[in-house]
Amino acid sequence: MIPGGWYPIFLREMLQFRRKLMKLGYLFSAMVVPVIYLVTFGLGLGRNVQMQGTDYVSYLIPGLVAMSSMNNSYTWVASSLNLNRLYFKTFQVFVQAPINPSSIMIGEVLAGMVKGLFASGLIIILGFVMAREVSVTPLFVLTLLLNCFLFASLGVIVGMITNSHEDTSTYNNFFILPMAFFSGTFFPVDRMPAGLKAVVYVLPLTHTNIVIRQTALNSAGFISLGVLIAYASAFFIIGSRLIKNYSE
Amino acid sequence: MIRLANLTKAYGTIAAVNDLSFTIRKGEIFGLLGPNGAGKTTTIKMLTMLAKPTSGCATIDGLDIATDQKEIKRRISVVPQENNLDRELTAYENLLIYGMLHSVPGRQSKISACLHLVDLWDRRDNLVSRFSGGMQRRLLIARALLTEPSVLFLDEPSIGLDPQIRRQMWDTIRKTRIDGRTVVLTTHYIEEAEALCDRVGILSKGAMIALDTPDALKAMVGKYAVEFVNGDGKMIQQVCRDREEAYAIAQGMDSRVTVRKTNLEDVFIKLAGGRIE
Repeated sequence: MIPGGWYPIFLREMLQFRRKLMKLGYLFSAMVVPVIYLVTFGLGLGRNVQMQGTDYVSYLIPGLVAMSSMNNSYTWVASSLNLNRLYFKTFQVFVQAPINPSSIMIGEVLAGMVKGLFASGLIIILGFVMAREVSVTPLFVLTLLLNCFLFASLGVIVGMITNSHEDTSTYNNFFILPMAFFSGTFFPVDRMPAGLKAVVYVLPLTHTNIVIRQTALNSAGFISLGVLIAYASAFFIIGSRLIKNYSE
Repeated sequence: MIRLANLTKAYGTIAAVNDLSFTIRKGEIFGLLGPNGAGKTTTIKMLTMLAKPTSGCATIDGLDIATDQKEIKRRISVVPQENNLDRELTAYENLLIYGMLHSVPGRQSKISACLHLVDLWDRRDNLVSRFSGGMQRRLLIARALLTEPSVLFLDEPSIGLDPQIRRQMWDTIRKTRIDGRTVVLTTHYIEEAEALCDRVGILSKGAMIALDTPDALKAMVGKYAVEFVNGDGKMIQQVCRDREEAYAIAQGMDSRVTVRKTNLEDVFIKLAGGRIE
């Protein structure tokens, strides 16, 4: 029984992911960056800091979850799609299969989401150990899923338009890395100077950080959720288009 | 049957394939022969829907490559020039994923049959990254046959293989020709085209310069060739109508000289003025 054309694409990624996980090195390397941030900013700089009425580590954890889910969903999809298309040429196998282009999109995005969720899971576990108050509400989970979907879709776009593997790291350095730092991961966006704030509010991760820290959705959170859904839909449609119009 | 009508593919101002029109018959092994850059791979890419033609059209079993893509993809299989297997998956997993992508019914027994056909059943649970180049080529053929295609495209099937393994590859390709299956292959190996193909189309600079059976193509230029090194140290092939003419030329030579039957390279040299290999 086959659920659809997306399933073999998803399964292929999962088989590869499982092999990677069995090498312990991968697990450690996935943990290193968030742990460094947590130690530097949470335990070092932020030891005596109170943020929005809670201790800093409790404030930081949802931000790190948002950041890691972005990083892992995006990077994995962008770089593997780029390599599979330009170097290994395995992407061409999908293009030549009798399935819809949107099936390729769905398979790749779901696989990216799993990787983002996996990394997020590790941080949530860390959070339960280290932070005083971490609550995983349905809203939190919904936001996390949406964030993974959004950035995995963005990963497809970048993976399809870049013409070398080096190009993907350019996108990484100009968009993903600044977003990780300025979009309210480590401190609230309202502390930013007004001019910069306008730019930051355009970035999708900012809205993820707003919603993921809310226990009940207020009006600002509602708008942010709308922005996330709009971004996610746009990225998904653009990514599907790029796959559909693929030609060598 | 495959029919190309004025098929053209341009990259910028350069026409990789220029106004190509010909027909490939059902059930034949058809070879596209030519040097690197002649447009062989680009032609295959258009017929297998990896590249969209700039102009012109083509049909496979009466289906249009521009509008009936999904239906065509169900009927064809491709062995590309690059070994585009998933290196971090096993041989079996590679075929499993491919079988699922193509909704192959009764997958398990077919995967087993295909792996047996190319002698890789015992290696089914090994990662492809551990396979030699020849094993990877064989696995690609097994993968392509899994869908029981009515047309099989092979782009440079024996590229990078040493001569002995290449001959095994030819035997494998001959085995794939069953149930009226059409096989289209590209090659820049003269021997390969002569050993496998019912008909050969010779491509040069994106255009078809000759198309016929290997024997007819050779008869067109002459049956025998004299090969010698001239005063400048350059290898010269001279095509002759018959054996007598060839011997007459050879006898007048001081340097080392060979008289042999013509091959498709002679045809190419005569028509395009350059060498293939």
